[in-house]
Amino acid sequence: MSPKLLTLTLALLVGGLTSCNGKKKHEIRAKGSDTMIQLSTAWAEAYKTVDANVQVNATGGGSGTGLAALQNGTTDLCNSSREIKPEEREKVKAATGKEVKEFVVAYDALAVYTHKGNPITEISIEELTQIWVEGGTINKWDQLNPAFSGDLVFFGRQNNSGTYDYFREHICGKGADGKSREFRKGISELNGSAEVVENVGKTEKGIGYSGMGYKTPAVNWLHVSKKKGEPAVEPGAEAARSGAYPISRKLYIYTAGEPDAETKAFIDWVLSPTGQAIVAKEGFVPLH
Amino acid sequence: MKTDSAALPQSRTQFWDRLEKPIEWLIRTCGWSSIICVIAIFVFVLKEAGPMIWKLDWGYFFTSDRWIPNPAGDNPPSFGALALIAGTFATTFLAMLFAVPLGLASAVYISEFSEGKMKEFLKILIELLAAIPSIVWGFIGLMVMGPIIKDVTGAEQGTNLLNGSLILGLMSVPLIVSLSEDALRAVPDTYREAGLALGANRWEIVSRVLFPAAKNGLLAAVMLGMGRAIGETMAVLMATGHSAQIPHALTDPIRTMTATIAAELAETVHGGDHYRVLFVIGVVLFVITCSINVISDLVIKGIKQQAKS
Repeated sequence: MSPKLLTLTLALLVGGLTSCNGKKKHEIRAKGSDTMIQLSTAWAEAYKTVDANVQVNATGGGSGTGLAALQNGTTDLCNSSREIKPEEREKVKAATGKEVKEFVVAYDALAVYTHKGNPITEISIEELTQIWVEGGTINKWDQLNPAFSGDLVFFGRQNNSGTYDYFREHICGKGADGKSREFRKGISELNGSAEVVENVGKTEKGIGYSGMGYKTPAVNWLHVSKKKGEPAVEPGAEAARSGAYPISRKLYIYTAGEPDAETKAFIDWVLSPTGQAIVAKEGFVPLH
Repeated sequence: MKTDSAALPQSRTQFWDRLEKPIEWLIRTCGWSSIICVIAIFVFVLKEAGPMIWKLDWGYFFTSDRWIPNPAGDNPPSFGALALIAGTFATTFLAMLFAVPLGLASAVYISEFSEGKMKEFLKILIELLAAIPSIVWGFIGLMVMGPIIKDVTGAEQGTNLLNGSLILGLMSVPLIVSLSEDALRAVPDTYREAGLALGANRWEIVSRVLFPAAKNGLLAAVMLGMGRAIGETMAVLMATGHSAQIPHALTDPIRTMTATIAAELAETVHGGDHYRVLFVIGVVLFVITCSINVISDLVIKGIKQQAKS
């Protein structure tokens, strides 16, 4: 190796080492809900341009996993698609001595879509359950409204999407034996939220669930009531935020105690108009 | 100068002589590489399927149509692949049902009945058809075939078993045509002349002389077409409706084994049960296509022996 080359290599090596050690980025670990993983990743990606010295690492595993990580201090903040349980709050306090802090960062709401030509405008949660659950009793449209007939054609999301999980948890729920119930067979599992709406728009007898932001002129969305006989609520950002629309939930970030300065700055940014614009872009309902 | 030019050929020969061995090795490696590849792929798929091969309830895998790899709440996952296997076999069978007659008929027309420029034109066109990417076929299934099927059959949903089979059939036709055409062309003209001399008409020559003579090649063409249909992924993913259920009608949406792997693998936890089961499906697919190839080999050998005795 010529001396020139040697010096160059050494210089590069030393330069590389110092750049690694010299300016270490502050890392914020964000663990939790798989529903929120894409949102969390999008936030992390965009936050690079806000504060170049902070690196947000978003990982999934589920809301429960994230809350457990909060207990043993392996994450700085936890993304959760459900409210923390009192016993989880206790556990975190016992393990870390700190009170859990809660931030509502977005709303998640799903609409049930039907074809434009479908005369049905309202539906109850019980009816939705019988439409979607394994062994459900509603297979034909005239069971819901004599003015419309034919077999229902089902469109949903693929089984590893958060939308699939949330809708199943919320609509199929638990059976009489206390076990969680699955979706029925014969549902077309599609790879995108927009695809579900598009297929419903092309299928007269179709029904499908998807995010609220995906409505097109080719489809209607159903007004949903908590129980048959109660007033049905039209999907919408305001109804989702107030909780009046039944298929909606809050999305949270939890921290153990007051977050440190960097984490606090990140959460503040998430709640800011820029962070909330990403919420809308990812198909969720922003706070304002 | 003269001595130089006289020496050159000799050194050149020596040069090539010395290269003889490495070239021989290179060619040998090329020959072996495909075998090594096949074995390596099988080992890889088997390795990724790994512990699941022992852990999996195979009876349930082949007999249950409950495919729920990501169950709700605390439920155990349900890995019943019967609906996926049924989907693959139903689409492939239906696709072959119309691709084989269509492909053979086209091959007979191109090889025996068309002449001159027409023949060349058709051959180029068929090769073009074979070059259409499978995602484009998927689009055709989704956007063109779907609405037509809805109108004609009155089905509620345009993407279904029938749609997937038609697309798969159309995709295998070019392969079947060009291979069968090769097989028919390989039959010596003396056979055709002998047939004519015996007073056979063209149909009789095709059905009684050419088909038996080209049997091996035609069978290979059909088998390769079938292999393509079973392995095809993107087009069926788009055209079948992607719904894991055993079909009861032509217009039911279905889901194939390949489409399941394509749709789910990207988002599974690396090394998790779901991930490994998808590789188990890969192993099953591999075994199916291998058996088809072996069976067709045996059939062809059987035919050859019959011909000899």
